[in-house]
Amino acid sequence: MRATLPVVVEELLSEIASTCRDLAKVPDELLLALKFLFGPSAVQALDLVDRHSVTRISSPSGRIVYQVLGSSGKVYTCFASCHYCSCPAFTFSVLRKSDSLLCKHLLATYLSLAMGVCQDLSVSNKQLAGILLAQEDPEG
Amino acid sequence: MEALRKLLSPRSGVCGESCEVGAGPGLLLRGKPGSGKTALLFAAALVAAGEGRGPVLFVARRAVQRLPPGWKGGAARDPLRLQKIHFLYPPSFRELLQLLSGMHETAAQPPSLLLLDGLDEYLAETSGPQACAHLAALLVDTVAHFSGCSSSNCGLLVTMRSPDEVETEEAALQLTVLQRYLPTCLWLEPEPPDLAEARPQDPGGYFRARVSSGPDFPKQEWCLSFGHNGEMAISQVTCQPSQHQPQKTEISSSS
Repeated sequence: MRATLPVVVEELLSEIASTCRDLAKVPDELLLALKFLFGPSAVQALDLVDRHSVTRISSPSGRIVYQVLGSSGKVYTCFASCHYCSCPAFTFSVLRKSDSLLCKHLLATYLSLAMGVCQDLSVSNKQLAGILLAQEDPEG
Repeated sequence: MEALRKLLSPRSGVCGESCEVGAGPGLLLRGKPGSGKTALLFAAALVAAGEGRGPVLFVARRAVQRLPPGWKGGAARDPLRLQKIHFLYPPSFRELLQLLSGMHETAAQPPSLLLLDGLDEYLAETSGPQACAHLAALLVDTVAHFSGCSSSNCGLLVTMRSPDEVETEEAALQLTVLQRYLPTCLWLEPEPPDLAEARPQDPGGYFRARVSSGPDFPKQEWCLSFGHNGEMAISQVTCQPSQHQPQKTEISSSS
């Protein structure tokens, strides 16, 4: 993901990435920091990470998109280059009210990448276009 | 002000200097009808087409009816340049989204610049922040993908008409959402009618742009001209007398 995040979030994510490599777990103080920065969505995002809900989808063109299987069983699309998620919470709290930075799906994507627990899936260029385009149909 | 330079060389471009200021890959160009948004976009297309990089994608709701005034000579006559500009006319919001999300399927060579003229026309079909964010994010994602698959970055330039009257709440929200994805914004001002009359009929080959960072910011006027060999020169025209000291800076670039 190349989107810009506040420095504090970037630092936290890289710390999580490096401790995960060494200890294979995230120490409590980093979890607390996450909770401090993101409030309740931190716990929900970690839950998604634990369930390996984030899939990194790539196509032969090299274009990448992420899909997150939400707790309700719905699949949401998160973009790789900027903050965009197709979930209603993103529209409401991030876009409309601007009171949070990310939704839990985007946070889960960042965390899964940092911890190296993304699932990988290769699809055709056409399928990837469909994933980027779709927003309302039931499969996400 | 590096505005025009930035404008014509989004990220790394003709001027050799990359534009880190105002982070974000794209530029939103706002202005009232007749302020020369399309003309400036077309100028950017010609400049990028002459750079020897990938093709330029010019996306608009409908075909450009006529070449903007002042483009009769020089670079616009160069068939090689015109061939590198691919015009695409998705007729609806949905088709624009389809075009962007499928752009990686067809592009044989990564484009060097993606231009979208008249974003407001597409947004008029939608409501709510979600559709607006989806479109803006797709634009950013598309150029990010193209930048990733070539050594040089793909620029993004979007024009949008600024409203004549007070904006509705919904329109203001759409704009806030847009600026999340396209944080760099420039305003184009139409030329005051008295000035336009004072000048002899456009001799062709040059184009004037009055640019500012917002409706209340000082305006700067720039003159762009194309030589017969397609060379572009940008020079700052003296400001209105009431404003700061007119600076005489000149930026020339061999594109």
